[in-house]
Amino acid sequence: MENTIFYWLAGALILMSLLTVSVQNLLHAAISLIGSFFATAALYLLLQMEFVALAQIMIYIGGIVVFMVITILLTAQLGAKNLFPKTWPQRLWGGSVCLSLLAVMWLTLQSNDLPPATPIAPTAEPASLTAVGFRLLSADGTGFLVPFEIISLLLLTALIGAVVVARRDPKPAAAGVPPVPADQVSGKESS
Amino acid sequence: MTLANSLLLSSILFCIGIYGVLTRRQLIGMLLSIEIILNGANINFIAFAHFRAADPTAGAIFPIFVMAISAAEMALALAIIIAMHRQKNSKLDIQQLRRLNG
Repeated sequence: MENTIFYWLAGALILMSLLTVSVQNLLHAAISLIGSFFATAALYLLLQMEFVALAQIMIYIGGIVVFMVITILLTAQLGAKNLFPKTWPQRLWGGSVCLSLLAVMWLTLQSNDLPPATPIAPTAEPASLTAVGFRLLSADGTGFLVPFEIISLLLLTALIGAVVVARRDPKPAAAGVPPVPADQVSGKESS
Repeated sequence: MTLANSLLLSSILFCIGIYGVLTRRQLIGMLLSIEIILNGANINFIAFAHFRAADPTAGAIFPIFVMAISAAEMALALAIIIAMHRQKNSKLDIQQLRRLNG
């Protein structure tokens, strides 16, 4: 039963990911990416990782993909002239590179014998929500408090950086000040 | 549902993402493909934590950090894309964007 569900989920996941990289319209690609994230969350539930499954749905689908869809709708005029079709040399080179990469990984998986399917710690409990929460914020040797704080600092930096980069310059030429590096990225005002 | 099957699934996802990064011509399409790559890496973490680890909690925590870094990356990348879109005649096609070449 578990095997059947796993294979169905894996098939759906691969199909959705292939659709994401192959459809022409970016909005359709983002929607199939949402489908692939849902299949991944179901896979995490099957592997007894409830917290990661919920975080997958909330962060990826609720945050990142929605942000991407908004950006797609803001920037891409979804007309016929902005679709940028793939060229055939690109497809050929990309397909051959990724197929050879897959072949190398498959051969490695086959040749490098994994030890038999007995887990190292067969009695290890699956990660419960309480254990994840305590572990994430505990300050002893096995806890993850310091990476947690560094990640929060990184997110704050990314937030400020995103605001600075995407900000409109009020008067680019009138003030006469030399441009800061963020202005070199954002360029001149178009309107 | 074994460890080898999960590893194969995550390597297939990784290769699909690589194909997308190599062939897409829109910047946002490349970002979508990067998300697929990170997704495959997360499945790898979870599979090892479920099948092998003596301590699955640590394996469940690590993808959370991957998700946080991916959120930060998306915020910055989409800000750069919006800033590029404001320029005149900028179509967000990587074959026409020469501004960041240096």
